Amino acid sequence: MLPTSLDEAVEALGASPAAVPVAGGTDLMEAVNAGRLRPGALVGLGRITELRGWRYEDGGTAVLGAGLTLARMDRPDFAALIPALADAARTAGPPQTRNVGTLGGNIATAAATGDTLPVLAALEAVATLARAPRAGDSGTREVPVSHLLTGVDPMRPGELLSWVRVPLLHAPQVFLKATGRSGPSRAVASVALVLDPARRAVRCAVGAVAPVPLRPLEAEAWVAGCVDWDARGEEGAQAIDPAAAAAFGEYVAAACVPDAYGADASSALLAEGPTAAAVRLRRTVAVLARRALGRALK
Amino acid sequence: MTAPTDSTATADSTGTGTAPTAEPAERPFGLGSSPLRTDALPKALGIYPYAADLWAEGLLWGAVLRSPHPHARIVSIDTSAALTVPGVHAVLTAADLPAPTVPSDRPVLAAEVVRHQGEPVAAVAADHPDTARLAAAAIVVEYQLLDALTDPEQAFHGPALHPDGNLLRHLPLRTGDPEAVGEVVVEGLYQVGRQDPAPIGAEAGLAVPRPDGGVELHLSSTDPHGDRERTAACLGLETDRVRLVVTGVPGATADREDRSFQATLALLALRTGRPVKMTLTREESFQGHAARHPALLRYRHHADAQGKLVKVEAQILLDGGAYADVSAEVLAAATAFSVGPYVCPNVFVDAWAVRTNNPPAGRMRGEGTLQSCFATESQLDLLAARLGLDPLEIRRRNVLATGDALPTGQAITCPAPVAALLDAVAEVPLPALPLDAPDTEWLLPGGPGGAGDPAAVRRGIGYAVGMAHMLGAEGTDEVSTATVRVSGDHATVICAAVDAGQGFATLARQIVQSVLGVTEVYVAPVDSDQSIAGPSARGRHTWVSGGAVEKAALMVRHQLLAPIAADFGMSVELLSIAEGKITSYDGVLGMPVTEALEGKELWATAQCRPHPTEPLDEAGQGDAFVSIAFCAMRAVVDVDIELGAVRVVDVTVAQDVGRALNPGQIEDRIEAGVAQGVGLALLEDLRSTGGLLANPSFTGYRLPTALDTPEVRIATLLEERDVVATFGAKAVSAAPAVVAPAAVAAAVRAATNLPIGRLPILPEDAVVVLPV
Repeated sequence: MLPTSLDEAVEALGASPAAVPVAGGTDLMEAVNAGRLRPGALVGLGRITELRGWRYEDGGTAVLGAGLTLARMDRPDFAALIPALADAARTAGPPQTRNVGTLGGNIATAAATGDTLPVLAALEAVATLARAPRAGDSGTREVPVSHLLTGVDPMRPGELLSWVRVPLLHAPQVFLKATGRSGPSRAVASVALVLDPARRAVRCAVGAVAPVPLRPLEAEAWVAGCVDWDARGEEGAQAIDPAAAAAFGEYVAAACVPDAYGADASSALLAEGPTAAAVRLRRTVAVLARRALGRALK
Repeated sequence: MTAPTDSTATADSTGTGTAPTAEPAERPFGLGSSPLRTDALPKALGIYPYAADLWAEGLLWGAVLRSPHPHARIVSIDTSAALTVPGVHAVLTAADLPAPTVPSDRPVLAAEVVRHQGEPVAAVAADHPDTARLAAAAIVVEYQLLDALTDPEQAFHGPALHPDGNLLRHLPLRTGDPEAVGEVVVEGLYQVGRQDPAPIGAEAGLAVPRPDGGVELHLSSTDPHGDRERTAACLGLETDRVRLVVTGVPGATADREDRSFQATLALLALRTGRPVKMTLTREESFQGHAARHPALLRYRHHADAQGKLVKVEAQILLDGGAYADVSAEVLAAATAFSVGPYVCPNVFVDAWAVRTNNPPAGRMRGEGTLQSCFATESQLDLLAARLGLDPLEIRRRNVLATGDALPTGQAITCPAPVAALLDAVAEVPLPALPLDAPDTEWLLPGGPGGAGDPAAVRRGIGYAVGMAHMLGAEGTDEVSTATVRVSGDHATVICAAVDAGQGFATLARQIVQSVLGVTEVYVAPVDSDQSIAGPSARGRHTWVSGGAVEKAALMVRHQLLAPIAADFGMSVELLSIAEGKITSYDGVLGMPVTEALEGKELWATAQCRPHPTEPLDEAGQGDAFVSIAFCAMRAVVDVDIELGAVRVVDVTVAQDVGRALNPGQIEDRIEAGVAQGVGLALLEDLRSTGGLLANPSFTGYRLPTALDTPEVRIATLLEERDVVATFGAKAVSAAPAVVAPAAVAAAVRAATNLPIGRLPILPEDAVVVLPV
């Protein structure tokens, strides 16, 4: 099925609940080809042009189409709006993947290593889910992306991810990922960090270390108090003490990587402190968080 | 594609001013020029027919059921469900195989025991590939799980995994005084992971039954006669009942095909009486074909106060996987070159290749030598650090030269310009630090858009030298046959040497062009009806098949020139062919070759067989190798010492090539070897836990991309002719792959001051934890 509008697509999905929507297919078709997934039918979203762009709302929000490709998000006009999302899209894979892979696909696949996910978590993005309208029901509902990912409020049968609302913060944002190589690769750990100067807040999310992006809320609140918000952006001013930035890194790492990381649940070693894998991963996350904060406040 | 002027310009800009390529490439053809491979364009354009593109009328599709377990006893196999799947034409198990006259310890289909994950257990032919796979999945195999032996160190004492035992070979090497002691002693333990050849074209082939009860196999084989013979033995057929047509070789750095693939395919065709095609999935390909031997090496180097080596003691353990395959040969190379290209009077090595339930291991560029090169070069760096010597200086004090002996007692008779190679790489200026460039333009470890921070980046420089032997060792009968036929103005070369990317077809053309002055040279496709040329491995074909082509071409030349010489009353030796013209010594005769050849049909067949070698004896002594090629490298790396990310910035190579027959192709081969070496050094590791592969996909198994591959600069292609070799040329592909991992490791060590003891170097191995 190849619908050309959102309405057609939700109708098609409503009519055949076994159908699976496919956009870029970079994850889905690989699973189909390898025989791990045998969907009853596919609904191709590639022709729904209305979902491939974005629009503004209320001056402070961008409404991004789920069909926005990673390659499109990397262009300068988009990067000026939501820099961290552009950074995540740029490093998400080789050009072949970025040309077809979409924002909505990244959310729907919900891979632990999905690069846009920590950014969306840090931005507290909200997803719009569309469904074929029924009597007394417009069909759409709004769910925070993090609720979708964690399964607090999962997608229901027949629903299609159509839009993602992201606040425009007009402040530095950083996405950093550690991969262990120079070429495109999946993240070992990633950190998204956005500044919200209006609320004097720092929001941060750590990706790839757990099935969903993690928000170190206490560390965020603590570091927001350490930032000299008025000095920020001024020539030669130091917006944060380097020791505080380093401490923030450690704080984030300790909050997001459990002691037992990489160990068997049954392992008796837990009493003896963090595993070697946890120590290594914490080191990486701490470096990423520290560097991300440093870049954001530079 | 590249015009001669362009290539000169590129060579200059990359600093290869001294390389032979910088000469204006005026000669349009012949030896020493760099013509483009004939399959380069079709491959780049995507129109080259690979084995997976084969088709035959009415073909069936094959699929293989593989063991999900690394070690298990097969209690029963029930194929009835598979046979009832509509569209299935045949289901084969070990019971359907002919009498077990299998020429190796590896069964075609496992009969009683499976010894590694992915070992073939049953095969299906059906009218659709999905049907075949579904039917294979419907076969019910009852396994009784056995403990998997996956630690090679346990293989000595563990239960025997095979009636032949777990020890595939033990090779002791003893020379000199065991009591010798040096003033300085350094020890190290080194580990090399499992590098997979990861051919981009997965295994594929087509088998067509013949009316005489034989079978014709269309495969991308790199050893057509060897594969034919082994397949015939597995099928219980006379060798001449199996014909093997080589088709669509997608480039190979190792053995292309695993044996059971060919035999299974042939058997399915014979059983169904229909053509059968089979294409492996990426996962099957990773499970089935042979990877590089993982190695554990323990070394102790003794040196005097000046850094001269006094004694080397080593224990080398190679994980041979479940079956013997070529492990014995790989072990010989690891042992014989266990000291590297250095002189050491006292050497005591014990080397073992053992059987485990890990994935199969086999031949792959620089097999055996690569593992010991990493260890010896690391040891030399340790010694240099201990003695306060420059890493280059300690190497210069120990390098061997022509006339020196290997620890095996074999005197090196070929050119061994190791010192000159080291000097050549040391002379090339180091790449500049991007200090003046804005931060945003640095290509930092972690890649563009990555997490790199210039403040945490340290640069390191490492040197390594290494060697790789050419041709089969320890008494292998090396022989190749070629036919050259000239009709009118064009020539044809018939030789069963498969061009697996090493460029033999191009070379054969160049040889005939040089000898006969004919421009149009056609290299015939390879099949097993031609005379034996042997496998494409160990840098053989330049020497043996190149030699055969040259001899045959010279015989044709004689046939061509003899009547002309007779007409002029002079001997053939006084005539020469150059630039398409036959000229006599006195200039009286000047006849275009095309005119002399008009209406003629000349042909000759010749054989080339280099001097024989002998097996290593019980003390590891013997003249086991035909010749050796050397290579020196300098690697420059940037390491993000907080994240452990490494980027190889530059690799400078000096290589002993004997004679550069095709400089362009040699540079390509060196770049390929460096890329593969960098892959092993930093990325590639086919991991297995408890015998189960952890990353059998290109997502998990990380091949170097263009961003991971450094700039490769050729300091020199050192041309010192090897008098016994064909044209004096040495094989070029293996040596760079052998040396690159050691050079990268040395550079990372220099940048971090950490003891880099295992390959690949993981980020966690390159993180410098600063004192708090």
